[in-house]
Amino acid sequence: MTTRHLKVSSGRQELLPWLAVLALFLTFPAWLGEYWLGSAIVGLFYVMMAASWNLLAGFTGQVSFAHAAFAGVGAYTSGILAVKLGLHPLLGVPVGMGIAALLSLGLGALCIRMGGIYLSLTTLAFSEILRLVINNEYQVTRGTMGLKVPFILGDYSKATAFYLMLAAAVAVLLIIRWLLKSDLGLMFRAVQNDEVAADSLGVPVTRIRVTAFVISGAMAGLAGGLYGHYLTLITPHIPSLDLMFLVLAMAVIGGMGTFVGPVVGALFLEVLAEYIRVWGEFHVLIFSLVALGFARFLPGGIVGLATAWLARRGAPAGKGGAA
Amino acid sequence: MNDFLMYLTNGVVIGIIYALSALGVSLIVGIMNVVNFAHGELYILAGYFSALFASALGLGPIPAMVAAVAAIFVLGLLMEWTLIRPTYGDDMYSLIITFILSIILQNAYLFIFGPYPQKPPNWVGGASNLFGLFFYGNQRLACLGVAVGVIAGFFLLLHKTWFGRVVRAVSMDREVASMLGVNPVKVNLLAFGLGCALAGAAGVILTPIFPVTPTVGVGVSLTAFVVVVLGGMGSFGGCVVGGLILGLVENLGAAYLDSGYKHMFGFVILILVLFFRPAGLFGQKQL
Repeated sequence: MTTRHLKVSSGRQELLPWLAVLALFLTFPAWLGEYWLGSAIVGLFYVMMAASWNLLAGFTGQVSFAHAAFAGVGAYTSGILAVKLGLHPLLGVPVGMGIAALLSLGLGALCIRMGGIYLSLTTLAFSEILRLVINNEYQVTRGTMGLKVPFILGDYSKATAFYLMLAAAVAVLLIIRWLLKSDLGLMFRAVQNDEVAADSLGVPVTRIRVTAFVISGAMAGLAGGLYGHYLTLITPHIPSLDLMFLVLAMAVIGGMGTFVGPVVGALFLEVLAEYIRVWGEFHVLIFSLVALGFARFLPGGIVGLATAWLARRGAPAGKGGAA
Repeated sequence: MNDFLMYLTNGVVIGIIYALSALGVSLIVGIMNVVNFAHGELYILAGYFSALFASALGLGPIPAMVAAVAAIFVLGLLMEWTLIRPTYGDDMYSLIITFILSIILQNAYLFIFGPYPQKPPNWVGGASNLFGLFFYGNQRLACLGVAVGVIAGFFLLLHKTWFGRVVRAVSMDREVASMLGVNPVKVNLLAFGLGCALAGAAGVILTPIFPVTPTVGVGVSLTAFVVVVLGGMGSFGGCVVGGLILGLVENLGAAYLDSGYKHMFGFVILILVLFFRPAGLFGQKQL
């Protein structure tokens, strides 16, 4: 699969489409209606999840299966602090984010030096253990019943939740963007492309990989905390492998290893999910088949397709969806 | 004391089947450096097949089991050919593809077989008095016997046949083996099929005791992964020792410590191994 492009193009002209999309999103609460505004909030949660998972998998080549688990850690930490100690969610969410970062530091330090396969195995195990703990400690977590938590800020309002989620998603995307253009981002791609060469040039391979894992875990914790306080009911669905699969499918279908891919994939699948909801439980099966098709035949995802199409039409590269 | 011996026996029976399942993972990792995240789902499918062949085709338990394992073997060959082969040299995509496949299979089972537990008929009934101390189900003893037989057969294949020699050569050094005339594509294909068949064998042997539901596969995969890491990646002897250790720890731990956290013990072992001896008990691969 040598077709993956890891280019992060620069230049001011590519900022325009993003600003246009942001302006459009800012107007959503005015005209979108309660139902679709809810979908937009969920969509932004998935944008954060898929983009931060892609930072790890698409740019350093490490597949974590604990991304949903870290979102669950963020949600349950903040939720339990709010319920037991009355801590305000806006303070609880950063704490949850910190706990998610600490756990990813521990897991990463433990297994990343052994290579990528170990990270995948250990994160899958972590995710399963978190499920067991949540189900067994039902006095604290309310198990599968779900933990009732306060709304994120003030009285319940989808517009408030939407703007907070949008701010967080923009912040996450800006940080990822900045990281990818920094020296650290260069080292991320160095350890993905050729670990031996990177090592020989003095790149501290293990430390770079752990750093990427911690950053991505913290972002998942932030997304999960906000999502939990938007839903006001935190259930084991957040740290589940089902949600993990959705995040992975969004990144794969959108286009792994590109900046814009996971954003496109997350919004596309969230909107698609609304339309095929009538097919009930079939929709996970359909998503998984589509994701398999992309992973097997179109590893560049939708963004890869769009880039190729634009190139065929002779459009200037780096414009529009090609970023 | 009698209780203790019974938990011990349980641990050995379960441990041997863990070992059988882990051998499949270890074979594929050793040869191809691919972790098959759909391992547990193939285990389940073999369990469903053995129940289906026994009820729908009226086969006896043994022919139904053999047919189920053969079906999983063929499925494994097809998987390797269509999905894994294009990912050679890109470990990340093989992880992603097998993970997606496991989600597809879980959801497909839900529609095809339904959410309720299914099991094939027992091979034997009754119980035997062990050591004159306690009664133990004949079905479990028969499972132990068959699993030991399959493992012994696998080691014979590995050490006494040409195929086994090739497998060991490739898992030691892939490039040298291919320079000496081994066709790596064929070895990959056969190893993947055989690895899947071992998952299937564990499935058909254990399903009469623990019926299968569409979602138990994650636990099966994880158990096999823990055993492989504990024994040392790519070490077959390590799988047997690791399987027995995990089976004993889980059963004794569940009996004397906390049954709700039975599967937690595997995770604790995983953490301890990664911390103190990351290459596993019998691992030779360098860091």
